[in-house]
Amino acid sequence: MKITVSINIGGIAFYIDEDAYSELKRYLRSLEFHFAKEESSAEIMADIETRIAELLKARIGDYKQVVTISDVHEVISILGTPEDISDEQNGGGYERMASTSYHRIYRDPDERIIGGVCSGMAAYWRIDPWIVRVIFIVLSLPGGLGILIYVILWIVLPEARTTAQKIEMKGDPVNIHNIKDSVKEEFENVKKNMKI
Amino acid sequence: MNVENTKAQMRKGILEYCILSVISGNSCYASDIINRLKEARVIVVEGTLYPLLTRQKNAGLLSYRWEESQQGPPRKYYELTDQGREYLADLDKSWDELVESIKLIRKK
Repeated sequence: MKITVSINIGGIAFYIDEDAYSELKRYLRSLEFHFAKEESSAEIMADIETRIAELLKARIGDYKQVVTISDVHEVISILGTPEDISDEQNGGGYERMASTSYHRIYRDPDERIIGGVCSGMAAYWRIDPWIVRVIFIVLSLPGGLGILIYVILWIVLPEARTTAQKIEMKGDPVNIHNIKDSVKEEFENVKKNMKI
Repeated sequence: MNVENTKAQMRKGILEYCILSVISGNSCYASDIINRLKEARVIVVEGTLYPLLTRQKNAGLLSYRWEESQQGPPRKYYELTDQGREYLADLDKSWDELVESIKLIRKK
């Protein structure tokens, strides 16, 4: 047995499962955010809600009286996520920026033990930072050469401060999707740390 | 370079033209426009249509009236304005010219 919510969308009333309601609400908010920069964004949202109501109405009947989460997923796949829409609106433009992405060595301030030199180089090669640290330690044993190299690199390599630089450090293309994902990831990490 | 992106760019370029063309044939509802565009495979997700429709209406190319419906709330019924018809005629000409250009280029 589930809890249902009554909603009114596009002027039509529906019963909708609680989880489907949350998903639909999240989807509508994401669309609202996407269209916020358009003039008449309210009108666009109203038209979309009308269409969603049409699509949902077609899936409801005597035997199925409640909108479920699979209905909402179906609607989202028909109308498109904000990413799908902006890809079509821009003709896949975001992906084209990727061909001019840089891939360079930065010092990684988030994963550092001393100066972020080893973690930065590890990010560039996409290997575990400890591999690089062990190499430096081994190089330091005979006469401290590793320490010298480390200090030189510490001075020479820039720190990855902005989100875009952190993405370049890993060699991923810098575009809105990746920046958004990076920020989300960092947000989740902060949230996790605060809960503990 | 990605062929899918180039193709998407091509489709994006003709979408506004297609919308005007569909409405000129027969005044219609947004859902009719969507079905025609999907049949012709010019649009993949429906969400792309709505900002374009609104922009065209705001530019005076389209107008709509509310039509009552037995199944629910009233729906927008779109048609081209005179300005929209002129605009479409211009785009028709432009399209024909493009087709000619491509023909010339493809001739080896």
